[in-house]
Amino acid sequence: MRLTTVILIASLMQVSAATFGQRVTLNKTNASLFSVLKDIRKQTGYGFYYDPATISQNQKVSISVADATVEEALLSALKGLNLVYEIDGKIVTIKAKEKPSFLENVIAGFQEIDVSGRVVDADGRGLPGASVSVKGKGGKAVSTGANGSFYLKGVDEDAVLVISFIGYVSKEIKAAKGLGDIVLEQSLSKLDEVQVIAYGTTTQRLSTGNVTTIKADVIEKQPVNNPLLALQGRVPGLFIEQATGFAGTGVKVRIQGQNSLNNGSDPLYVIDGVPYLSQLLPGGNAILGSSGGTGLEASSVGNPLSFINPSDIESIDVLKDADATAIYGSRAAGGAILITTKKGKTGDTRVNFNLQSGWAKVPNKLDLMNSQQYLEMRREAFRNDGIIGFDQSSYGDNDLNGNWDNSRYTDWQKELIGKTAGYQDMNASVSGGNERTSFLIGAGYHRETNVFPGDFSDRKSSVHFNIQNTSVNQKFKIQFSGGYLYDKNQLPNKDLTREATTLAPVSPALYKSDGSINWQLDATGGTTFGANPIGYMYNLFTNTTDNLTSNLMLSYQLLSGLDLTSSFGYNAINSSTIDKVPLLSFAPEATPYMVRTTNFGKNGSNSWLIEPQLTYVSSVWKGRLEILLGATLQQNRVIGSQIAAAGFSNDLVMGDILSATNIYAGSSTNSIYKYNALFGRINYNIQDKYILNFTGRRDGSSRFGPRSQFHNFAALGAAWIFSNEGVIKDNLKFLSFGKLRGSYGTTGNDQIGEYQFLSLFDPTTQQIPYQGIPVYQPKRLSNPNLEWEETRKLQLGLDLGFIKDRILLNANYYVSRSSNQLSGYSLPLTTGFGVITKNQSYKLENSGWELTLSSTNIQSSNFNWKTSVNLTIPKTLLVDYPDIVKSSSASTAIIGFPLSAARLFHFLGVNPATGLYEFTDKNGNPTTTPAYDDKTVIKDLAPKFYGGIQNAINYRSFQLDFLFSFVEQIGPNNFYGYNPGNFVGYGNQPTSVINRWQKPGDIVSIKKYTSGYDLYQSQGNIEGSDAVWSDASYVRLKNVSFSWQLPTEWIRKAHLQSCNLFLQGQNLWTITSYSGLDPETKSSYTLPPLRIVTLGLKIGL
Amino acid sequence: MKNISVIGLNLLLVLLAVCSCKKLVEVDSPETSISSKTAFNNDATAIGAITSLYTNLTNGSLTDPGELIGLSSIASLSADDLDYYPLAGNPSLGLYYQNALTTANPYGTGFWGRSYERIYLVNMALEEIPPAKDLNPKVKQQLLGEASFMRAFYYFYLVNLYGDVPLVLTTDYNTNALINKSPKENVYTQIISDLTEAENLLSDKYLKADGLTSYPDGNEERIRPTKWAAAALMARTYLYTGQWTDADRAATSILSNTTQYQLTDLNQVFLKNNMEAIWQLQPVSFGYNTSDARVFIIPDVGPGPDNPVFLSGNLWNFFEPGDHRKTSWLGSVISNGITYHYPFKYKVRYDPAGQSAPVTEYNTVMRLAEQYLIRAEARVHLGNRLGAISDLDKIRERAGLKLIKDINPNIGEQELIAAILKEKRAELFTEWGHRWLDLKRTGKIDEVMTIITPKKGGGLTWKSYQQYYPISINELKFNPNLSPTPGY
Repeated sequence: MRLTTVILIASLMQVSAATFGQRVTLNKTNASLFSVLKDIRKQTGYGFYYDPATISQNQKVSISVADATVEEALLSALKGLNLVYEIDGKIVTIKAKEKPSFLENVIAGFQEIDVSGRVVDADGRGLPGASVSVKGKGGKAVSTGANGSFYLKGVDEDAVLVISFIGYVSKEIKAAKGLGDIVLEQSLSKLDEVQVIAYGTTTQRLSTGNVTTIKADVIEKQPVNNPLLALQGRVPGLFIEQATGFAGTGVKVRIQGQNSLNNGSDPLYVIDGVPYLSQLLPGGNAILGSSGGTGLEASSVGNPLSFINPSDIESIDVLKDADATAIYGSRAAGGAILITTKKGKTGDTRVNFNLQSGWAKVPNKLDLMNSQQYLEMRREAFRNDGIIGFDQSSYGDNDLNGNWDNSRYTDWQKELIGKTAGYQDMNASVSGGNERTSFLIGAGYHRETNVFPGDFSDRKSSVHFNIQNTSVNQKFKIQFSGGYLYDKNQLPNKDLTREATTLAPVSPALYKSDGSINWQLDATGGTTFGANPIGYMYNLFTNTTDNLTSNLMLSYQLLSGLDLTSSFGYNAINSSTIDKVPLLSFAPEATPYMVRTTNFGKNGSNSWLIEPQLTYVSSVWKGRLEILLGATLQQNRVIGSQIAAAGFSNDLVMGDILSATNIYAGSSTNSIYKYNALFGRINYNIQDKYILNFTGRRDGSSRFGPRSQFHNFAALGAAWIFSNEGVIKDNLKFLSFGKLRGSYGTTGNDQIGEYQFLSLFDPTTQQIPYQGIPVYQPKRLSNPNLEWEETRKLQLGLDLGFIKDRILLNANYYVSRSSNQLSGYSLPLTTGFGVITKNQSYKLENSGWELTLSSTNIQSSNFNWKTSVNLTIPKTLLVDYPDIVKSSSASTAIIGFPLSAARLFHFLGVNPATGLYEFTDKNGNPTTTPAYDDKTVIKDLAPKFYGGIQNAINYRSFQLDFLFSFVEQIGPNNFYGYNPGNFVGYGNQPTSVINRWQKPGDIVSIKKYTSGYDLYQSQGNIEGSDAVWSDASYVRLKNVSFSWQLPTEWIRKAHLQSCNLFLQGQNLWTITSYSGLDPETKSSYTLPPLRIVTLGLKIGL
Repeated sequence: MKNISVIGLNLLLVLLAVCSCKKLVEVDSPETSISSKTAFNNDATAIGAITSLYTNLTNGSLTDPGELIGLSSIASLSADDLDYYPLAGNPSLGLYYQNALTTANPYGTGFWGRSYERIYLVNMALEEIPPAKDLNPKVKQQLLGEASFMRAFYYFYLVNLYGDVPLVLTTDYNTNALINKSPKENVYTQIISDLTEAENLLSDKYLKADGLTSYPDGNEERIRPTKWAAAALMARTYLYTGQWTDADRAATSILSNTTQYQLTDLNQVFLKNNMEAIWQLQPVSFGYNTSDARVFIIPDVGPGPDNPVFLSGNLWNFFEPGDHRKTSWLGSVISNGITYHYPFKYKVRYDPAGQSAPVTEYNTVMRLAEQYLIRAEARVHLGNRLGAISDLDKIRERAGLKLIKDINPNIGEQELIAAILKEKRAELFTEWGHRWLDLKRTGKIDEVMTIITPKKGGGLTWKSYQQYYPISINELKFNPNLSPTPGY
């Protein structure tokens, strides 16, 4: 076929031209075709041949190309004209389009060829899994094999093949027998970055759901010990709050608000396809703070993601709407966070080292009273109370009764939490492989010390591996990944921050001159400094945890387009705690009555998962159809115990249970959670313009009564990429991408703990069994009718790209309603228990806006500057709650108001006559003794908005990244102190309490000082009033990373592949008007997130 | 290849079929718990369930309102026997002390909530035990007796602490959530009916933990209720309801059982398993005897968070000269120049010999001396003045005091009743709330507290309704049929 040959040559030419051709930049409207061709010739040096008969003199065209190939320029110039071109070397021939004869058409239709080729990236590496399909009606499609090669049988000779691969720019190419290497250019657009979704992958361009992806390059710029902390301020719709500044701290995570009033609003965490714990088992060191657990998990502290090495993570995908999460069914009402670990890559074996070392400090200090101010306050308190003389007992007023040296001043913040902690992190990895097999092995070590006096640290060692293989015939694939982390966290069992901010400034020294602990004995030998915080430092809490995550993935191609995959996962997280209370922590006179006690705790959660899946990909009508069908079998067993041992003969043997004279079991747990499901997804994509995505799941969980174990969940998502519509393409040239999408569906929540529906008796703790027998008591009121909580989510989104995607705007509006809420339903105590777990009729409504604007501000070969801003405006509302009074949240939940709203007294000020705090009662009259129903002010305590501003600047070999995160919120301030004038070993106050009432007529902000407990009520009232809630908004320079890539010559001389030096910082600077220690913890009594600065080196061999 | 794909497809189908099977999501009770049906259908666990009531009582705290054992200190604070140490930092005790409880104050729910929680278990036992097939009949009888006794025990204190209270007799939370208060008389009727049942069912010997065998005589562990405990509580209930004949009869039934019960020397009254004890509680904490000793005995450093109460001057000065109880049962410590007196009935605060030292003292819930005083009071009302004096003198004799029959043989009835009550205070101070309950029962409370309350600080005065503790606001909110304690 002559014609075919010509076209074939032309297309081959195209390929070579694309590779070697000069670039064209041309912008003309309504110009003559002649002049346009002349311009192209000038810019490229190509010559043009054409028959003047085919091109009329006044043929007018418009062209707008920048940095385009000759073909692109010609296509643009000749668009809509009845002309074609051929390129032969440097010669372009323009001629009239030949009308194919009927016969030719018929022959062409029957002329079929077998096409083969190989899809490669710019470096010539094969791209396995790329899709090659015939353009148009019912086109055949195949995926490329492990080395990127494909073979497509029986293709129309004149067919056009579409070659696409996630993350690369799709290419269209004429079919031919041997196509050789087809090079796909990596897409630089953020829109084409791979996003991991439930049971598959997609891109932001084609996704119908609301998914945000954070990649390894962002995670590794942050010195954090929990990967969740690396997400803070970077993902719209995701609110992350760090509970304390300790390594292993609790981290509260909420995706698009809180959907359950009482039972777990945590997202579902999935690591390499295997669900992971969202809360640790109870029994950890309480000072780590909570991860926002509610209900049964309220006693859980720390965070399970602390046991994942952030360096092992390739990407974290945050799935927010129903479209993205409904396939996870009952577990994803709180959204899902998918963690994908690093995988081996084909190519030369590479060795990478990443070492960093740094320092951490408490970034802020409270303004507290000095000794003189403190003593003045105390003396005035006694005068106010009419007390003459001080309590002389050793529990008494030791700060004033002569037992303590009043000329002392200690800055307890400096003394107790002022130390600089150390931070070290080391990671090494080896990876490589060939076309069929690749591997990765990584190891890490992480160590953080503490700001307390004493020697405390958290050490983690970890390994991670991945191995993949493909059979010779490319049909069978196997992938095995795993990670193991061992953590040993040693901390005191008390957070000294409260002591640091409340200990009287005249308190004695911590140690005596001989180095022993100073109890400051009085004349009679009584301890006067019982609150000496060094005592607590001897109470060592050691928590060792090991965490194994593993996943085996097998897949077999049954037929072309039909794949059977099965995932097998296993996760075991086991911790053991040793909490020692030696005699040293007690005052000497108490010692004879005390015994050395150690609490030994063990907790293990072991879960396995099997998920067979069948996927089918085919072209149907004008589009591409993908069907997924799968099932889940999952079981999780939790075993734990707490054993208290006492009566050790000395401190050295306190870690050995056999050395105790008395041992008794404090608690034991042994529970099973069984879960299984069927799920499916149908995705239909019509020409990358219209995309429909339907997901469904049928779930069964052992957490519910026999009548309601199963439930169905489903969601529909749709997207319209309107920028691919011809009209818009032609007319809105500035718009490089435009997508409108929406989804609606249901997800559920079964996070209520095990066995809630059974009526059970539990053994009671007793150290010496009563009459020698174990005793049992009822656990709770049981409810056999428990059902799922259901959340319906509606989501609308708009994605826009401007100027070749240099500016991307992403906007989402979401509204979700959670019903059938499982929560405690308060009953009077006459029922035996104050509460029963029950599905309740109220609904929680979460709605909000998410906005992201990313832009490449400057792009040149030497200098690049990118900015990304995200903003979330959330709202949670409690609606439809007829039985509110009966809910256990009745005292906190207010119908028609946000969930986080609280009823408060309205503060009027200090009564000038009495010196007491004065409030409005329910009738609007002032009162100094408000009762419960005088709480007339309703205040929303939740953040109004939050977000982050990221900047990435590249200049030659330097790179600077920084992130500001911000939250607009209110928090409980420290302005009123805690009962100023009172002293029970502590007593220091913020300097704000100096402006106090002294005599009738004083107009001041603080009540009169008191030494006793009679004004506790007044203090309690102010803490329950609107006065303590003030602005706690902040802008924080959350992260700065500065790196320098060493000059290539140096690297070469050192025989390295790459070498970077970097400087990183976390929590560097905070702008806030909050009066407490930290606006994120909103507390002055817990250790705030530390300021961390590290120096590091990254080497590739 | 085709074969493999067929196998694959079949495999998948099988898995899918398996998946929706109920079996895969069904779980048994966890190994760490037992279902309530099983619990009461097995001797050991049924006994274990009832025994949890005693464990909980003895585990209760004297510094935290909750288990009724706390009444020994807390009701004494509310009355005039104990003072609160203001720097102890225990605001809940402060409020009980100052008679300043309110419905909004959560500390008011302690005894109420905990007692109803225990009554739930008792009611469940009374529902589940009769139909249980696998229980030994003798165990069944004893447990039903203990359950009935314990229900009466909790209601006796509820009705005395709170006045009219809901009479919860089932485990059905739907009913119990909307229950009305029953008048005091009905509660007492139920108490007497339960105690009658208990007296019929309970063993007259102290039983071992198997619920079957009794201890050898003179070597008993007096830590499970017996028929005599039921009789003792019966006598007290009749006394409180003015049924003098029955009070006399019930007390006499115990007092005449001299093989099991006799007054002992003052120094032995609180030892474990002494002859005077009718029902005691075994301590269950390592290294400690009673919580009374832990809280009441003030160390050399003076009162503090762990020892927040001390004897009131009122009680210290109350004893007649020469009363041996003042020397045997009271202790004192001088701390920084201040003398603190404290109840010293229980003497072992902590055994310095360590945790393995044998326990020598048990908390005594009911003892014989009270029965003498009950009978004495009933006898006065029944016109048996001589009998009353004889009973009263039994107690005075042991205390080393002069006998009424010698010093005032012609004492008038009113005077005699006053003498009995005076003796009761001196005998039973800081034991299970006797003083507080007696003040109310005899109508003396307003007279006494009007003087005492203002002395407790805080500028408060006594209001008569404060003799009953308030019911928490939440309780009133969650049960619309429940009315507050009158006055609050």
